[in-house]
Amino acid sequence: MFFHIVLERNMQLHPRHFGPHLRDKLVSKLMKDVEGTCSGRHGFVVAITGVEEIGKGLIREGTGFVTFPVKYQCVVFRPFKGEILEAVVTMVNKMGFFAEAGPVQIFVSNHLIPDDMEFQSGDMPNYTTSDGSVKIQKDSEVRLKIIGTRVDATEIFCIGTIKDDFLGVINDPGAAS
Amino acid sequence: MADRGGKGWSAGKGKAPSVPNQGALNGEDPASFKRPVHVDIDSSDESEGFIEDQSQASGKSNGKAPKKVPLDGLKTGGKASNLASAGKGDSGKGGKSFNAGKAEGKGSLPHAKPPTAEVDLKLELDIPKNSRVLMDCEAAEVLQDIHDHMTILSEDPTIKIPESFNKAFQYSKNGSQYTDAKSVRQVLETLKTCGVNDGEICMIGNVCPETVEEAYGLVPSLKANRQTNEGPIREALTTLVKLKSSK
Repeated sequence: MFFHIVLERNMQLHPRHFGPHLRDKLVSKLMKDVEGTCSGRHGFVVAITGVEEIGKGLIREGTGFVTFPVKYQCVVFRPFKGEILEAVVTMVNKMGFFAEAGPVQIFVSNHLIPDDMEFQSGDMPNYTTSDGSVKIQKDSEVRLKIIGTRVDATEIFCIGTIKDDFLGVINDPGAAS
Repeated sequence: MADRGGKGWSAGKGKAPSVPNQGALNGEDPASFKRPVHVDIDSSDESEGFIEDQSQASGKSNGKAPKKVPLDGLKTGGKASNLASAGKGDSGKGGKSFNAGKAEGKGSLPHAKPPTAEVDLKLELDIPKNSRVLMDCEAAEVLQDIHDHMTILSEDPTIKIPESFNKAFQYSKNGSQYTDAKSVRQVLETLKTCGVNDGEICMIGNVCPETVEEAYGLVPSLKANRQTNEGPIREALTTLVKLKSSK
């Protein structure tokens, strides 16, 4: 889910940027540095919504760079265990399928797909119920529940399930066409 | 202090089968006799602490043991004896105190575990301070705002919109099925009075379940207070349906 959160970061700025536009420089550097990154604790930093406070700069000895502590508000996206997400299927194979919810990748193993759905290979691999009424293939929208997350420095990877009540396909592009 | 205590004891455990260690174990026995008094106070942290200690334990000298805090020493001591007492014969008097420790230590473990297993959704724990949960529809509004600004900013070539922004923006737009995020928040905020927390409110808002059963199925943590929150949730859901945009 999304969060609005206040974070802090020490920004280093080269002296050539000092002047009346110092603040603007800092903010644009902050946006460049932070937006699109992912931290294990907070998730994906989607966008900076405001800068609360820029502290006093401190000159780094030897380099001339100045470090400013900057407090900023941003919108982050982070998946949690137990959360329900609506995701778009990006790839289907016999091991299960991959889906995407915003910037987050989710894998749903075939053990976590209802037992009555079977893998069908072909040029459009999919999981289909025996009566053919429900089909999961690329670009299907599924509602899934996250049961595990793995976080490393630059990405968050989730394991999901659709083997539960009220989970599964919510929009099937194949059926519509 | 807890760590130290743990290390001392696990070291004992690791080496227990070898003869030279007996002296050390004997030396510690008097300390462990005093401990049972405190046992019952202990509860939660022991299982974790124990596991961690095991991994780091081996190299520590027994010389540290006498400094331990009685509380921590006991529970690890109890465990250590499981292995240590298997082999060695110095357990004459030590054995008794160890057994006492073991019984207490094991007894308290099951108390600590069930709560963590039951709660399916422990969102609150992970949410950092000074943060606010946004529903998809609220996020969509905020991001839409930024997106509009971006198009102005994008004349500056040094700032480019990261891919994850577009993905998140797209996702939030897909997820927001309401006409007005503020009134959704208002409706769901009323659930707070009956103990529904921010994370659960956010999930209800995002998923927009059609029935109360669906809400309980998808957010199992709500079931705990079912008597108090069922009525309000039902009301909220019927109001939400009215706020849904017709897509």
